[in-house]
Amino acid sequence: MRKSTSKPKYTWQILVIIVTVIILGLNAIPTFYGSNNALLVSAINPTQTLPNTQKLRELMQQQQVDVEQIINGESDSKIVIEGDDETLIQAQAHLKNTLGDDYQVRLGSQSAAPTWLQGMGMSPIKLGLDLSGGVLFVLEVDTNKADQERIGNAKDEALQIIHDQGLRGMSVKIADTENKINLHFLSHQAASVKSVVNELQQRLPGVTYSSSGDRDGTLVFSEQSITTFHHEIMAQALTTLRGRIEELGITEAVTQRQGQNRIRIELPGVKDPEQAKRIIGATASLDFYEMAQSGTVGIKTFTDENGRRLRLAPKPIFTGSNIENATSGRDEMGVALVNLALDGIGGKKMSEFSKDNIGNPMVTIFSEYHKNSSDEMVKSSKVISVATIQSQLGNRFSITNLDSPQAASDLALLLRAGSLDAPITIVQQRTIQASLGQENVSNGIMALAIGLGITLLFMGLWYRKLGLIANTSLVLNLICLLGLMALLPNVVLTLPGIAGLVLTVGMAVDTNVLIFERIKEERKRGRSNFLAIETGYKEAFATILDANVTTMITALILLSIGYGPVKGFAMTLSLGILTSMFTGVFVAHVLTALVKPQIPVKQQELKS
Amino acid sequence: MSTSTLKTKNGLQDTGKTVKQSKGAHSPMAMFSKVRLAGFYLAISLMLLSAIGLGFKGLNLGLDFTGGYMTEFTTSQSIDKGQMQNQLGANLSGDFELSSSAANTHWTIRQADGAAHVIDKDWLYTFATQSGYDIAPQDSVYIGSQVGSELIDNGGLALIVAAVAMMIYLTWRFEWRLACGSLMALVHDVLVVLGLFAWLGLPFDLTVLAAVLAIIGYSLNDSIVIGDKLREVMRAKTNMSMSDIVDTAVKSTLTRSLITSGTTLATIGAIWIFGGQPLQGFAIGLFAGVVFGTLSSIAVSATIPQLIGLNPEFYQLRAQELLLNDEP
Repeated sequence: MRKSTSKPKYTWQILVIIVTVIILGLNAIPTFYGSNNALLVSAINPTQTLPNTQKLRELMQQQQVDVEQIINGESDSKIVIEGDDETLIQAQAHLKNTLGDDYQVRLGSQSAAPTWLQGMGMSPIKLGLDLSGGVLFVLEVDTNKADQERIGNAKDEALQIIHDQGLRGMSVKIADTENKINLHFLSHQAASVKSVVNELQQRLPGVTYSSSGDRDGTLVFSEQSITTFHHEIMAQALTTLRGRIEELGITEAVTQRQGQNRIRIELPGVKDPEQAKRIIGATASLDFYEMAQSGTVGIKTFTDENGRRLRLAPKPIFTGSNIENATSGRDEMGVALVNLALDGIGGKKMSEFSKDNIGNPMVTIFSEYHKNSSDEMVKSSKVISVATIQSQLGNRFSITNLDSPQAASDLALLLRAGSLDAPITIVQQRTIQASLGQENVSNGIMALAIGLGITLLFMGLWYRKLGLIANTSLVLNLICLLGLMALLPNVVLTLPGIAGLVLTVGMAVDTNVLIFERIKEERKRGRSNFLAIETGYKEAFATILDANVTTMITALILLSIGYGPVKGFAMTLSLGILTSMFTGVFVAHVLTALVKPQIPVKQQELKS
Repeated sequence: MSTSTLKTKNGLQDTGKTVKQSKGAHSPMAMFSKVRLAGFYLAISLMLLSAIGLGFKGLNLGLDFTGGYMTEFTTSQSIDKGQMQNQLGANLSGDFELSSSAANTHWTIRQADGAAHVIDKDWLYTFATQSGYDIAPQDSVYIGSQVGSELIDNGGLALIVAAVAMMIYLTWRFEWRLACGSLMALVHDVLVVLGLFAWLGLPFDLTVLAAVLAIIGYSLNDSIVIGDKLREVMRAKTNMSMSDIVDTAVKSTLTRSLITSGTTLATIGAIWIFGGQPLQGFAIGLFAGVVFGTLSSIAVSATIPQLIGLNPEFYQLRAQELLLNDEP
């Protein structure tokens, strides 16, 4: 009789469960297949045709490499091979040799799951550095260049002071060899030099002056000030690079300072480092200038793309460091643009400047360091827009007319993650193996499986029918969690993540135990089987909710403030809380209602 | 003593029920209370001991935190990583981390100490002749910590923010004294595990940090389950003494605590035994955390509210207020 009344009651719940489990389950499947190594062959010149499939197969056979499949894309061919990283690298070398310089051979990976799953856009969970390896970059921060830049700024400041104080005949020049400024003055100006130097020291602490004759002197930065400056740029570079890596969606990277002026970056799961390289290595900065007024000293001249010469004020109105947020988009004509939001200082400067300069142009300069043919770092600056100020602007405006949506999104990313003052070059790049090693990873997984097995066995024996329900919901929980992790971008599984997994399994078991103990208690109080189950779920839910909400608070705080390993842990944990609430409370409840297990209660245990 | 008066009070009430139960619940209850208090003092001593250990011995921070020296070299042939690990272990004093490039020909060793022979790569030549490998040294430099100072600052900030947020939530859902108890149990669990690592001199690396984070989760979970039970008992049995209420609450969650901890310990134990060397620190940290966490959930999280004056009247008052508010 109850059957007919209770069954329709659960229809929508069952539907929700089936749909969720199918979606997340399908997403979890590719993880069990893992992924295969792959080689990407692309032509350097886009008009060139790619080598045909037959030829690629033959080439691979020469190396005794088993080809799984060859996928022909629009601009590249993907050769999916069997075998480990070592085979992959040998195959890459062989392909490079035979195909010659016209083709590029990159490393990649391809999900090993059946094609129909891949067709639905499902991919395995991305593994962290400790579990799967990745790519290593060693970057060099060019502190010399930064020193030169700094001394250049000092020269400009000095020039401005001299000009302001009306000292005609006094001149400054950067010495050719060292990072110092030669100050030349007329004999009667000896007294004024002191006030210039004082003023300069106030603006730029750390400048020291030494006299080298009655009409000459030199300005340098003190040793100590240079050391602090280098320390600062290294720290800034590290912070900025970490920000950029995070912007790329890689949460589990390792960033370390290596030696005096190098930075070591290990990126997990990246087989094709091209995009990472473009973003990490870029030393882009953005400055906003007004046009020079007549009589200004130290005018900077730039040429825009139409060949017009622009004479700009020596100092920018504000710089990229005042940018708080940047997003790429398109204007109504479909041309790529970047929307900018400035911080308080930048917003104030912008609004003051634009108020007084309506109708005047503002020039945006994009500067970047790159290597020239003789391997020297050169700073190249490009005018990206000359815009006429139409009205008073606040802290939000856009840079329009960018070349492509790709250029716009790269620029937005770089501006968001902070600019680098000192140029950075990539001095080393190679793939690295998992730091834990294949053996350790499989050991770890085996250990997890054994632990899970013991837990399932115990629950089955201790709670009998209820235990089977608990086990079903526990397994579903793991499937849902793996599916969710594979589904969401930016989630990487690492060892700390596995810690989160263990904790999740523990909490899922706990959820069930809490409910079952409650049901037993209700039975002892003399409630009927059905009522005891219903009350048990209802009463235990408050406890479970409190426990999970509190843990969730911690996980979310760790997620928002933490970095690297802490983030990986918090990510798994917070997702795990969601899935264990779903399976432990919702799924298990429906299952219990359907199975209707009899909970035995001994007569003497019954409370009056 | 207060327990003796409680006993008689308890006994009087229980006579109303079956004779069997009053005899059964009588002395074990007092016993349990004593055990619980003993556990509480044990927990306090463990915390003190851990604080001393942390203060005097300090944590043996791993390379992830301290940075150290990195030596890179290449071998002409591909060599098995395990084999290389063993041979290097025989040659190098102290801990080191070995990693290799994809083809197992490019090796990186990270060591904590920057002794002269490490930097000038002398040992590498000796190692090359001994092992017969064709080794080409590449680079030997100082390497900074993997964890930036900002992570330590942010991490500290995160913990404080988390603690405050928890306190607010728990105070809202329960009561401030229960929130204090949970927080104290949390501090106990983390402190004792850190203390254990300090006293045993086990290397504290990022994996152990992950374990500590997991312990925070466990500890909270345990405390809340007990706090919830405590609240329930306080509402139902208002004529009991506070000590008995706490005992009843702890006892009725004991099965659950043991099952949950037991199954979790089984998983962690499996990782400890089968997981291999790299997971050792992680497993030890988590194992200790769960064991001490269970202890603190029984002895600390419910005892503190009792000691700082939580009593059943609070919930009676609250229940009355709710009743008044409900009535139109």
